[in-house]
Amino acid sequence: MSSQIRSLLEGKIDFEGQKLAEKIVQIGLISSTIVSFIVGFVVQDLKVAFAILSVATIFIALITLPPWPVYNKHPLPWLKSQNSKKEQ
Amino acid sequence: MHSLYQRANGLTGLLSSCLIGLLALVALTSFLFPAHPKGDVNIKTLKVRWGQIDRHPAQEWAFVQFDLQTDLESLFHWNTKQLFVYLVAEYTGSKGVANEVVLWDRIAKIKYVFRDFNKTFRNASAVELSVRYNVMPYVGVLTSGEVGRTSKERFPALQTQG
Amino acid sequence: MFSDEIRTIQKLGVRYVVLQVLNFTQVIISGLMIWKALGIVTNTESPIVVVLSGSMEPAFYRGDLLFLMNPRNTPYVVGDITVYKVPGADIPIVHRVIETHTVGPLPTDQSLLTKGDNNRLDDLELYKGLRWLQRKNIIGKVHGFLPYVGYVTIAMNDFPQLKYALLGFLGLMALIQRES
Repeated sequence: MSSQIRSLLEGKIDFEGQKLAEKIVQIGLISSTIVSFIVGFVVQDLKVAFAILSVATIFIALITLPPWPVYNKHPLPWLKSQNSKKEQ
Repeated sequence: MHSLYQRANGLTGLLSSCLIGLLALVALTSFLFPAHPKGDVNIKTLKVRWGQIDRHPAQEWAFVQFDLQTDLESLFHWNTKQLFVYLVAEYTGSKGVANEVVLWDRIAKIKYVFRDFNKTFRNASAVELSVRYNVMPYVGVLTSGEVGRTSKERFPALQTQG
Repeated sequence: MFSDEIRTIQKLGVRYVVLQVLNFTQVIISGLMIWKALGIVTNTESPIVVVLSGSMEPAFYRGDLLFLMNPRNTPYVVGDITVYKVPGADIPIVHRVIETHTVGPLPTDQSLLTKGDNNRLDDLELYKGLRWLQRKNIIGKVHGFLPYVGYVTIAMNDFPQLKYALLGFLGLMALIQRES
């Protein structure tokens, strides 16, 4: 039971998936910061700027935090266990 | 980036940096808006009386009635949280003490009275009133300026009636 | 639980422990140096303060962060928002200067009266017997502002359980990390 909870909390994704997730976060956050600044400035409303950034952050978190299957497309090819051969 | 915790950690780290950057940019934009506020202030009446107000000891008090007109529209931009507008009386007392006293401010909207440092206005210099403002931003530097000023007016003698 | 750590330390020796302690101390001392340097540049004992009361609302709320400067040869002007400490009281008060009286030959020889924007009366009763504030009572003038950021310090003070909860949580995280 606890191992199930553990794997849920761990949210493992493979290395290619990690690269993808990190890229999404970086591009997403930086561009939404810039967009929120420009839009807020044009409308002359600070609340608009922070609203845009908050919504974007939640969206990015939903896309990158849970271990969606798209991040597990390249699982590591583990070698088969060799213990049984050695003991003989 | 292996686990959920590490990804969440990375996300909040970058988010903090982005927030700081955004706040810094917003603070900088305050300098893009040149302030040209306009104002006009006139003293209608100026009286000096003897009395005891609040917790202060009995002494001379000066009462002012003034007219004020301002156009502060240009001071408001997205980083302006509030404007604090206040009226200041400036004069030099009889013993050479230079004084500046706030008589009135926008938030309170109360007609204030003011007292001299040395308990009497006799032999004090003429008094000028000036209207000043303070810009309080949502984030960044606080700025201030002056909008209008009256001409100098002498303090009248102490009145015992009226 | 700590057997792994103890074994590692035994392997690496006393030097390792001393190095860790030195690293830790260096971080703390660098922080302190930066704080004190900032204090020297701004000429104030406390260049950054947290707003503690609501007496300057709606401009400042509890938890806002203020950046102070106290230039030596510049007189204070009415309208300046200052942070001051009355001798005998420990808490810094953030209020606006509403009267200045230049009593000495220098423009900086001033007697000041302050008042919170949100208060009905001026601060005379807070001065503990003084009629006016002198420059030496003033910690600095507010030049910059950052909203909300200081609220953590207020929460920690008002709810000491939060402090312990936070320490406990961090300790827990450290242990869990090691195990996995």
